[in-house]
Amino acid sequence: MKTMFNTGILIGAITVAVLGIGASGRQPAFDASKNISVIAREDGSGTKSAFMEIIGLKGKPDPAKIIIQTGTAGVLAEVKGNPTAIAYESLGYVTRDVKALRVNGVEATVANIKNGSYKISRPLSIVYKQASIDSGINKAFFTFLQSSDAQKIISENGYVAMVENASRYTINGALSGSINISGSTSLQPLMIELATAFEKLQSKVTVNVSGGGSGTGYKDADQGVSTFGMISEEFNKEKAPSCIYHVVSQDGIAVIVNRNNPLNSISMEQLKTIYNAEAGQNSISKWNELIK
Amino acid sequence: MNQAYRFIKTRDAVMRGIFLLCAAFSVLALGCITLFLLANGLPFIGRVGLTNFFGTTWHLSSGAYGILSMFVASIYVAGLSTGMGVALGLFTAIALYKFCPKLAVPPIRQLINLLAAIPSVIYGLFGMIIIVPFLRDHVSPGGVGYGILAASLVLSIMILPTIVSISLDALNSVPRNYYEGALALGATSEQSVFRVMLPAAKSGVLAAIVLSMGRAVGETMAVIMVIGGSPVMPTSLFQSVRTMTANIAMGATELSGDSATALVATGAVLFVFALLLNVSFSMLSGGEERGKKRTQKTGA
Repeated sequence: MKTMFNTGILIGAITVAVLGIGASGRQPAFDASKNISVIAREDGSGTKSAFMEIIGLKGKPDPAKIIIQTGTAGVLAEVKGNPTAIAYESLGYVTRDVKALRVNGVEATVANIKNGSYKISRPLSIVYKQASIDSGINKAFFTFLQSSDAQKIISENGYVAMVENASRYTINGALSGSINISGSTSLQPLMIELATAFEKLQSKVTVNVSGGGSGTGYKDADQGVSTFGMISEEFNKEKAPSCIYHVVSQDGIAVIVNRNNPLNSISMEQLKTIYNAEAGQNSISKWNELIK
Repeated sequence: MNQAYRFIKTRDAVMRGIFLLCAAFSVLALGCITLFLLANGLPFIGRVGLTNFFGTTWHLSSGAYGILSMFVASIYVAGLSTGMGVALGLFTAIALYKFCPKLAVPPIRQLINLLAAIPSVIYGLFGMIIIVPFLRDHVSPGGVGYGILAASLVLSIMILPTIVSISLDALNSVPRNYYEGALALGATSEQSVFRVMLPAAKSGVLAAIVLSMGRAVGETMAVIMVIGGSPVMPTSLFQSVRTMTANIAMGATELSGDSATALVATGAVLFVFALLLNVSFSMLSGGEERGKKRTQKTGA
């Protein structure tokens, strides 16, 4: 009994100490004389390869001081807690906890992506083998993705719908079975919404959506592990020779900073300098070089 | 009667076979893993060349697979975390052994053992949310919290239970009359613990150090979350670097082709490194045992 009492006191003391440290580090102020913490995704990430290609650094190495987060959630958590961070992130993921910058003066919105004025955007696609969607539930799901039901879900979730004047999905009561989808974590949350809606329409069908990244998407579709692989970059035939692709939605990549950061806008040139390992003399390493 | 005897005999033979199979299974598993790593890794290293593979540039799209900087980072992290963990853990064990109110020993020991039950991802989370921001805002000169120090701090907490419980057991197994003998010769209690008991428990403490170092080298999840991940040569404690384990885990689900094989080759290097650590440990402790026998002989 006594032991348990002592143990309780110790645990209590530790908890208080940890909470104390945690609370003291909660909202650090922004200091423009500090170095920029450049956050990136790991190699193989669709968001990374799309972003690097759009800002003109395709296939270039990361700058030496890069901090790598292996997943969209990790990037968000880091930018939320680190006042000196800058990162890129699928627009559909951006929450109120972080601030999306205007790029070349254009705000990252669905409308601006659709009319092409916001430059950093990439297609979110599914890759599949032609033969696999010839009939049955796979064909039905593929048709559903292009229906007005799906387009509505896509735009409601903050993504760009691709099919104009789509027709409604017609339910086929005879269908049953399961569909496996895997790949890009950028497309995953939207695909889960779409899968849930499809399961509601076709009650005997289950759709399994798992992540793993665009690399996994290509691999699984090519090897037939999944019917549909999700990718978040321009389709690259070399990565899945047996497959073709279909664009589900267009997604912007937002450039995000901490909410305490006073910066509101950034240019493509500045982004390129920040993410360029070979920028040398022109490199931007401190925030006061951006905030004048 | 004869039939019953035969039945028992076959039953025994079958059971012996099953037990043998169980024993063979772990050997088989080790063999398979070794074969997989070496058969995939070594040809790859041969193909890209030793200078490329043990170079300092890791850049997949230009075919540079240098893991030297990650190897160095792994050694730094393992060394620093073992250093801090051993210093803290050894003193904890000594305190629990002699200099702590008897009433407090069981709860403290229980709590330290509880540390071992915490999943490594939770250590990573703790490091990412508490340690990294703290280092970034209050300690680091360049405003970077990620890096070797953050990883070593997290790991040193993780390896505490290993060090404390093994060293405490080693201390407890030293005959009590060593201590009393030292006291009788006029040593103080502190002197007898540090000069007599601790040296007598040396092999156990050594075991604790090597075991915890093995864990520090191999730990992946907790490290990946606080190390930063940039594949560059470490020059500072507060700098985003990448260990070999982090390198494998970051790319394993995303990469394919040569890049994926490069990860297997990294794994082979890690495996050989861990193997060397274990072998050196058994050689160390083997020497220790022989030494002890010799003293006993001369004593008798």
